[in-house]
Amino acid sequence: MARVKVKSFSVIRDVLGSEVVEIDVRKPETVGELFEELVRRYGQPFKEKIWDPNSGQMAPFLIKLNESIISSTLDIDHKIKNGDEIAIIFPIGGG
Amino acid sequence: MAKNFPYGGYMGQLLRVNLSNRGISKEDLRKDWARDFVGGVGLTARILYEEIPPKIDPLGPENKLVMMTGPVNGTMIPAASRSSFCAKSPYTRSFFHSIFGGFLGPELKFAGYDGLIIEGRADKPVYLWIDDDRIEIRDASHLWGKDPFTTQDILRSEIGDEEIHIATIGLAGEEKAPYAMILCDIRAAGRGGMGAVMGSKNLKAIAVRGTGSVSVPNMLRVYNTAVRINELFATTPAVQGLSGYGTPRNVAAMNEGGILPTRNWQTETFKGMKNITGEVMREQVVKGDRACFACSINCTKYSVVPKGPYKSVINGADYETIYAFGSICEVDNLEVLCKADELCDHYGIDLISTGVSIGWAMECYEKGIFTKKDTDGIDLRFGNADGMLQVIEKIGKREGLGELLAKGTRDAAKIVGKGTDRFAIQNKGLEWPGHTCRPFPAAAVGYATGPRGGSHHDIRPTAEKSGLVDRKTLEGKGALAAEVNHWLILGDSMLVCHLAEPIWGPLKISDSMINVLNAVTGWELNYEQARKIAEREWNIIRCFSAREGFTREDDQLPIRFMEEPVPEGPMQGSYIPKETLERLKDDYFTYRGWDLKTGNPTREKLSELGLDFAVKDIGKGN
Ligand code: SF4
Repeated sequence: MARVKVKSFSVIRDVLGSEVVEIDVRKPETVGELFEELVRRYGQPFKEKIWDPNSGQMAPFLIKLNESIISSTLDIDHKIKNGDEIAIIFPIGGG
Repeated sequence: MAKNFPYGGYMGQLLRVNLSNRGISKEDLRKDWARDFVGGVGLTARILYEEIPPKIDPLGPENKLVMMTGPVNGTMIPAASRSSFCAKSPYTRSFFHSIFGGFLGPELKFAGYDGLIIEGRADKPVYLWIDDDRIEIRDASHLWGKDPFTTQDILRSEIGDEEIHIATIGLAGEEKAPYAMILCDIRAAGRGGMGAVMGSKNLKAIAVRGTGSVSVPNMLRVYNTAVRINELFATTPAVQGLSGYGTPRNVAAMNEGGILPTRNWQTETFKGMKNITGEVMREQVVKGDRACFACSINCTKYSVVPKGPYKSVINGADYETIYAFGSICEVDNLEVLCKADELCDHYGIDLISTGVSIGWAMECYEKGIFTKKDTDGIDLRFGNADGMLQVIEKIGKREGLGELLAKGTRDAAKIVGKGTDRFAIQNKGLEWPGHTCRPFPAAAVGYATGPRGGSHHDIRPTAEKSGLVDRKTLEGKGALAAEVNHWLILGDSMLVCHLAEPIWGPLKISDSMINVLNAVTGWELNYEQARKIAEREWNIIRCFSAREGFTREDDQLPIRFMEEPVPEGPMQGSYIPKETLERLKDDYFTYRGWDLKTGNPTREKLSELGLDFAVKDIGKGN
């Protein structure tokens, strides 16, 4: 089990209720499992902010893992460990 | 369908107004041009290629200002509210399209016209009143010198109709300031000096009232398509958030990702970010939400600072306001940003070029190149909010330092010298919006080769910024940039709003975009056919620039992005060295079938696209 801090903004923050939340991630301790846990905890309101019902996939966005940047599309199996800080860099787009 | 016009969505008619001889004519829209260039920007590029000779003075009477709609405007399709003002730009010196939302585009169609071509120059200030098929050129001497909102109020009251929609210029447009904008009700055709072109024609305003409607071949099909697009808007994650927080929804996320341009792009992380996010804006100043015609996203915020030195009422702030006056000038006071936005509207100046020009001046001051003697006594340090507001006023009035900054950073840096061009954040003369390219190669080549330079509507960094494609590789980035160009230009020709990017793109022209176009027009285009139209549009605009003398050499990035890596944060070390940019350009030109040496479309490419008429104009080397 890895306990990590998850930071989010805008509509995702609104669903999580706070800018930073702590989440326990079960094995396998991966980015994908973290999002599964967030869905278990926050249910449909979270899922619809992240999963695209039209593609059935997680939307593409960047994730800051400590000081490095990974992505929701390419790095879902990336390992996470106890104490990691994860920021969901989403939504993003133009003005 | 409109009388004598075979395709749905069109009114089949253009209005032409010559202000020199007060000639007004209505002419048929060419069916072949509608089919080949759709409308909006593509169609206008074709018209202006035909009608404007090369190398004319953009502020002379030979230039033409065209307001053009697209077939989708005025139907129930959501986010299809937009319209374009195009001309040869006095700022970038080539074809320019400035897009705006709201209601004016649909209203022009309801009056019976797909577009309006304004030629010549009035001998004294005038405004144009379009009341269905009754057109009048009216005296505007009582409006000259008035700000855009006051002008709109006067016109609504003297015409006696609260519902008319109006495009106006401010003081800056009257003075032909290079980056003067046109305010269209509450929305801006902000970029590229379209307001200066309007001012050069002594045209203060265009007021429109239309009582007609837009016909389509199969109403049920359009209705079902609109329902489907609305469903996509409601359920697509990247569109959510625009309703609640507007475009500033991404300020905090961008800062966290190390891509929030700061301190005139010296870095891309802003310590004061927390005070100027979309969330804070919603809590502190937003009083309501506003939508453009038939749009369910309603991203526009109506904000009020009720009292104090920064008392203001604005439609915003948008992300670009927060970028240009907030992180670029390191001002972390939201009320000040609202005031800055209000001042830009008041004078009628483009807020991106204004903020970035002030950021450049602040860096000149920081480096000791400017002293208080150059800044009219203002202590123009980064973060000096009141100093920044004073300089906006000076730009609006073209006083003191404002006279220099109103020229924009390219020309200001030429005048000042001392290496200040190294931190002038522009290419092709246009200051950059708040969307970086330093970590994103496809965005870099898109910005460099784009017809307008610093425009995030010729390229979108979104695919690389969201991780939809691998941002670290150069492979395939020329192709990606070209296909993003294509969905953008087709969108600017149908005139749908780019903010619904995940639906219309984001990697290439989407099925949704083609479905909308087919439903409204009755065409049954497949992907290849739609793409070919977009490619033709992109190429005619490139030909316009080539005819003006632009070549591959003009496809550059701001020097800072080619020489200075991001110094900190998650994107630390990112930049696009000149050799990388040249490699990306080779890749892009090869994919496009353009000549590698000149960067111009080849004879074969033009012939393939039915643009043979342009072959004679675009120089040797092909
Ligand atoms: S998304 Fe916003 S700017 Fe675009 S059409 Fe809708 S309300 Fe207007």
